[in-house]
Amino acid sequence: MSAERAGREQRRLVEARDVRREYRLKGDLIEAVRGISLEVSAGDFLAIVGPSGSGKSTLLHLLGAVDSPTSGAIYLDGSDVTVMTDAERARFRLEHVGLVFQRFHLLPMLTALENVELPMAEAGLARKEREQRAKALLTRVGLGERLRHRPGEISGGQRQRVAVARALANRPALLLADEPTGELDQSTSAEMLELFQSLNEDGTAIVVATHDLQLAEGARRQMTLVDGKIRE
Amino acid sequence: MLIFRYSARELLRHPARSLLAVLGVAVACAMLLDMLMLGGGLNASFRSLLTSAGYELRVSPAGTLPFDTGATIGDASGVRLRLESEPGIDAVAPVLGSNLLIENSRGAGPDEGTDRLFVLGVDPAEQGIYRLTSGVDPDENGVVIGRELADTGLAIGDSISLRAPGSFAEAGRRTGSFRVTGVADFLYASSGERSAAVTLPTLAQLTDQPDRASLMMVRITEGENPDSVAAALRLRHPELEIASVGQLVETAARRLSYFRQLAAILGTVSLVVTTLLIGTIMAISINDRYGTIAALRAIGISKRSIVAAFLVESLLLCVLAAAVGLGLGLLVAGQLERILSDFPGLPSAIRFFVFEPDRLAWAAAGVLLAGVGAALVPAIRAMNAPIAATLHREEP
Ligand SMILES: Nc1ncnc2c1ncn2[C@@H]1O[C@H](COP(=O)(O)OP(=O)(O)OP(=O)(O)O)[C@@H](O)[C@H]1O
Ligand SMILES: [Mg+2]
Repeated sequence: MSAERAGREQRRLVEARDVRREYRLKGDLIEAVRGISLEVSAGDFLAIVGPSGSGKSTLLHLLGAVDSPTSGAIYLDGSDVTVMTDAERARFRLEHVGLVFQRFHLLPMLTALENVELPMAEAGLARKEREQRAKALLTRVGLGERLRHRPGEISGGQRQRVAVARALANRPALLLADEPTGELDQSTSAEMLELFQSLNEDGTAIVVATHDLQLAEGARRQMTLVDGKIRE
Repeated sequence: MLIFRYSARELLRHPARSLLAVLGVAVACAMLLDMLMLGGGLNASFRSLLTSAGYELRVSPAGTLPFDTGATIGDASGVRLRLESEPGIDAVAPVLGSNLLIENSRGAGPDEGTDRLFVLGVDPAEQGIYRLTSGVDPDENGVVIGRELADTGLAIGDSISLRAPGSFAEAGRRTGSFRVTGVADFLYASSGERSAAVTLPTLAQLTDQPDRASLMMVRITEGENPDSVAAALRLRHPELEIASVGQLVETAARRLSYFRQLAAILGTVSLVVTTLLIGTIMAISINDRYGTIAALRAIGISKRSIVAAFLVESLLLCVLAAAVGLGLGLLVAGQLERILSDFPGLPSAIRFFVFEPDRLAWAAAGVLLAGVGAALVPAIRAMNAPIAATLHREEP
């Protein structure tokens, strides 16, 4: 292992300590995440698995500063995200976290290129640079030929690649994906795993929540959630 | 801006819905423009009509408005002389008005075989009642006819017979034959009304009203304030009603205030319609996109950017609607004007809808503000939805 690689692995991107997330639904208390502590370092590739309703998505949202824990502390890249305001967290996500969803959530009226440019525009990047970087990213995920196509004009697997490119737009150190292969067939899922592995090789830390065992096995390590807790 | 490109294309995604919204708001915008033009148009056009001949004051018998009743001013020539000697007054133009009958070729009874005609007796050297379009002012046996009569085939040089309505017994004394000396526009005629003018003494004799006048129009010295001159005159001539054009316009405006109330109510209705239409369309379109909105916010797009995109969307709808609506409003105003210019008893020169660029700007601004305001509500509501919970609901 090179010295550089070792240095990167020491950098702690995510640190969650005794994190809980409860929901109140019609008077019932739902404990979606019940005291989870975990760390994700630079270069990591973690798969969170577990039965439906075990709290995978909830945990992922907490790790990405999309949601706030009921109690516990979450540090992202050294910053305590639980004390940030809504707007600060949004800015933090924009610059430091990439998110991929099961349902892609691309803007249907924008081209692949424009979809990838969107977070860069929000971050204030100039048009020229935006376009260059978006082209490079789409080429990186294998869509160099589909820049001007809209999501409706490409396949599901290609849409998810566009979504991955969008997640990488502002060069986040951390990529979070919730059920990224949930809407894809097996061979497309396998391609998605290859993409994640190669992005991880290039230094992006990845956390995926998934039912897809093939995807989970391709990760560097796995974690199983049951009833909002990590199963030892 | 990328986010604005998104807004524009989002409207194209539902072309039928967008088109309906644009048309709906365009109609509301047209109505708003017309109501703004109606509300402000009446006063302005009435004032310009009253001052068009350059007479700033009107003198009528005490307690009446010009031509409001049949009352007349006695000793008209004496009153005229006294008024003309007052400071601040340049000229006085007495006018006597009366309905006469003009013989036509049909029928033969006392009042059959005749048409009603409004005849004004004036001093041709000092009058602000008609404007000659051809020919010359009337002498004591002459008459100037309005366009309505000229259109029946009468021409300069023809003779017409005029008489005051009444019994056969008096008819002989009160009939006169006149030669048409000119054709004129009668400034205060209402639509379809037949008008003619003869000299003041001629009409006085014909109608047996020696030395009387219905009204005097007063021209004041340049630089004098009409209201102050009127006030001074009023003190010295309590037997006369003296009003400046400004005061007459105010009186008329009070009488026509229901037009303005109507305009205010309908104008408000069109703004409410705009608000409801845009509010509904934007609420539907935003509700469709809750999942996408949550995802965009999750990846770090700020509330402000997303709200801005929605506002641009509604602004685009409103701009298109205003462009269509203002054109439509002008067309409709023209049509309504044609209908209302036949309003009985009002000079047809009165414009109900007066076009002024600022009315156009106000109508456009009203629609844009209402539209953007309406979009703000669903947009802000969407921003208050929790991101994680919305994503949770959206995933299968
Ligand atoms: N916004 C919410 N309000 C109420 N309850 C919620 C909310 N989000 C999640 N839950 C509940 O929390 C628990 C964990 O849900 P979560 O979506 O994290 O599970 P999951 O492991 O991602 O499930 P799946 O594999 O089906 O995606 C479930 O019981 C769920 O119903
Ligand atoms: Mg889930």
